[in-house]
Amino acid sequence: MLLAILRLEDEAYAVAVREEILRCTGRDVSRGSVYITLDRLETKGYLRSWLADPTPERGGRAKRYYALRPRAVQALKESRRALVALWKGLETKLA
Amino acid sequence: MTWKTLLRLLPGDLREPIAGDLEEEYRVRRSRDGSGRAAWWLWCQTLRIAITFRWERVSRGHPLPPIGDEIRTTYMWDSLRQDLVFGARLLTRQPGFTAVAVLALALGIGATTAIFSIVDSVLWRPLPYPHAGDIVMIGEQRPREGRLNGPVAPADFLDWRAMGHSFSAMASATDFALNLTGDVEPQRLRALAASPAFFDALGVTPSKGRAFRPEEEDPGRSHVAILTDGLWRAAFGSRPDIVGAKVLLNAEPYEVVGVLPPGFWWTSRPDVIVPRAFGPEERLLRSLHMFPVVARLGPGVSLGQARAEMDTIGRQLADRYPEENRYHFPQVTPVRDVLVGDIRQPLLLLLGAVGFVLLIACANVSTLLVARATARRREIAVRLTLGAARGRLVRQLLTESALLAAVGGGLGILLAAWLVWIAGHLLPPRLLALPGLSHVVIDLRVLAAAGFATTAASVVFGLVPAYTASGNHAASALAEGGRSGTPGAGTRRVRSALVVAELALSLVLLVGAALLAVSFRRLVDVNPGFDAANLTTMRVTLPQAKYADHSRTTQFFESLLTRVRGIAGIESASVVTLLPFSGADQRSAFRVEGRSSESPVPVRARPIAVSPDYLRTMRIPVVRGRPLTSRDADGAAEVVVISASAARRFWPNEDPVGRRISFEFGKPRWLEIVGIAGDVKDRSLDADAEPAAYLSYLQTAVVGSTRAMSVVVRTTLPVDAAAPLLRTAVAELDKDQPVGPVRPMMDLIAESVAPTRLNFGLLAVFAVVALLLTAEGLYGVMAYIVTQRSHEIGIRIALGASRGMVMAMMLRDAGGMTLAGIGIGTGGALLLSRSLATLLFGVSATDPLVYIAVVAVLGVVSLAAVAIPSARAARVDPLTALRES
Repeated sequence: MLLAILRLEDEAYAVAVREEILRCTGRDVSRGSVYITLDRLETKGYLRSWLADPTPERGGRAKRYYALRPRAVQALKESRRALVALWKGLETKLA
Repeated sequence: MTWKTLLRLLPGDLREPIAGDLEEEYRVRRSRDGSGRAAWWLWCQTLRIAITFRWERVSRGHPLPPIGDEIRTTYMWDSLRQDLVFGARLLTRQPGFTAVAVLALALGIGATTAIFSIVDSVLWRPLPYPHAGDIVMIGEQRPREGRLNGPVAPADFLDWRAMGHSFSAMASATDFALNLTGDVEPQRLRALAASPAFFDALGVTPSKGRAFRPEEEDPGRSHVAILTDGLWRAAFGSRPDIVGAKVLLNAEPYEVVGVLPPGFWWTSRPDVIVPRAFGPEERLLRSLHMFPVVARLGPGVSLGQARAEMDTIGRQLADRYPEENRYHFPQVTPVRDVLVGDIRQPLLLLLGAVGFVLLIACANVSTLLVARATARRREIAVRLTLGAARGRLVRQLLTESALLAAVGGGLGILLAAWLVWIAGHLLPPRLLALPGLSHVVIDLRVLAAAGFATTAASVVFGLVPAYTASGNHAASALAEGGRSGTPGAGTRRVRSALVVAELALSLVLLVGAALLAVSFRRLVDVNPGFDAANLTTMRVTLPQAKYADHSRTTQFFESLLTRVRGIAGIESASVVTLLPFSGADQRSAFRVEGRSSESPVPVRARPIAVSPDYLRTMRIPVVRGRPLTSRDADGAAEVVVISASAARRFWPNEDPVGRRISFEFGKPRWLEIVGIAGDVKDRSLDADAEPAAYLSYLQTAVVGSTRAMSVVVRTTLPVDAAAPLLRTAVAELDKDQPVGPVRPMMDLIAESVAPTRLNFGLLAVFAVVALLLTAEGLYGVMAYIVTQRSHEIGIRIALGASRGMVMAMMLRDAGGMTLAGIGIGTGGALLLSRSLATLLFGVSATDPLVYIAVVAVLGVVSLAAVAIPSARAARVDPLTALRES
């Protein structure tokens, strides 16, 4: 989820995040769980969000955009470091 | 509800962006899939997201708060869900309590639903005819014999039909049996001989072909038949060209003119219907009462108007034919009343009884809940003190009981479905012939009833504990501090009252069940007047075409009897036209030589044609004179043996032997009475034996047609062994001759007492369930009181009370409740026993022995239920009890 938001840069709102996950991983996650995860991550301080201006194709409703807070970037880095460490030496076995 | 209202279910902070996202996708979908599907998608998605969200936040421990603009319903929904989750958690934490409560409710609700579905099908659901309320049966009431709705004589029926203007159709309908032979497998069919107007009276139209035409009532043109859908499928493989085809019925060709629609129902469940033809002699018969009449009220005619008209017609006929018609009158009754007749009251009784079981179950669960609520007094007190509204607390406690009721109700419906299925397989055929009973279903109406029972139950058993628990004693509960303390006197009174109610209701049920049990026992013990053990019966109906001649018929049965008597294991064999308990019914008026036709009582008897050793085979005693013998054949003096009740009734102070009677009125054919036989019950064990006249079937001029006879054999062979031997004996004489089912006489008698047995059986089951529930309730209360009072008991023992004194104290408490329950219950049972009186046989509804026995049983069970907790109280260790408190 965090990676998808990072990839989307300024365009990260719920619909786009869901599509990005689908495009990259092939996994179709339900809308409800996308909203819940975004909500949860925001509560935990990993994300910040803001409302954009309302647009007519959305029935005059605003989009909520999300972006990573430094804590999330830090967490991603740590997760990547751990993964890389665990992967080290396994390349030949799983090639 | 609009989508915008639905959106309110979403958390307020995310509502706007989620709605925007959904609307964005909705527009794309609308242009692609059309607005209907897109809107459906929008609704489903919104609901899904809302539900996911709410669960998520609750499970994280942050239930969505009622935010400023949240509408009230959302708040209610939230708090309801909270209550449900909380209640479910409590219930799973106390599996024992939950299991007992759910089981009690499932039994109560299941049994109520099952009985309701049966009662509904039989009593309240409309009969399967259009405007069924306009269909009536017309019978003959004979006030002097206390008989209502008796069968009708042909001439009376024809007169009614010609004179009555209140009816749009009037038809006779006689049940009989026919042999189907020819290209199909020979079989015996249930048949109905009905006037052509029968179908108009019922409002039924054949699904293929046509109904009967009026002229098909004439003997020469009556060889047409209408098949039921079932017979058409089973015997004729649904062949499409059946209309117009010829079939062999009783070896005579009949043209099939129609097939009835699949749902057709008539009480005797016939396979085939043929026109009832009236020969010229039969059209004049007024003394032989043979068939029921069914009619449909004309448009705009009320039941009262029809009755008034038929009364007038009855009086006119009585004036015109005083000898035959003076003492009987037409009686118009709605068809359902006739069909349901004597079963209505037992069914309603069962419904009432099962309602009692449900009440007991509710009271039981209620006592359990009161106990639990008392244990939660501190929790509730804290919540009240912190500002919880009393209504809110009551709602929470009610939600918990509703949850219990819902689980119990769900299981109850499953139980009901199973019970109804069992009923469909176990009910005796006589009961299955009732309207609706052959296809009782659990449908919306029944489910609605079950839902109502469940809701009512949850309110009934939930309200008392909810109010007692949330009562205004928060401060006292808190003031008691850490002490577990004894429950308030109020709570204990409520629980005691509930247990007393349970005891009283159980007692009423037990008395009902015991009275019916005694009735059943007495009924089964009634001597039918013959020795039914080791008797096997078989009905044989010879076709008229092949056996038109009386002598051929007699010859056939004589040869059959000779063969059957030769079978090893068969002691004796004979034939009879009207076999007791076979449902065959016929009565005929007769004249006594030397008496004027004037008589204070109707001179009427069942003419029964028998083979000479019938009385010996049945072991019916000959109390005077001699039995019929093989010498009483054609050419010899014509004789008759009458039954003892006929002798008592018609020759009260004289000896009938040697007197002469005649069943024919125009030119009398005098029969000399040569003997008096013992009385035989032939319709039901609880009715008095009717006067009977045994005629020798060898005197063909006297008895007329004897083509339909029951073979009755006294044998030590089991019925399974005897049946093939009897069938073979018939087949050796005539390979095309089908036979009816071979049945032990005991089965026929058992069938006649089946309704009583069913009442008693069901009521007994209910009573036992009620007793168990009551015992459990009593046990629960006492066990609880012992726990609550262990501190006090400890002090008493420490101060020198003996264990016996403690036990006596506990038993006194329980004894008070039991006595109160028994007192109230006895009063209730005495009041209600009146409604039971007509169902009883050989026992009074206020039989003191029954009451004493029931009270004793209830007393012993109560004692057993309180003995364990009381013994535990006596074993309380004062040190432990005082230290724990």
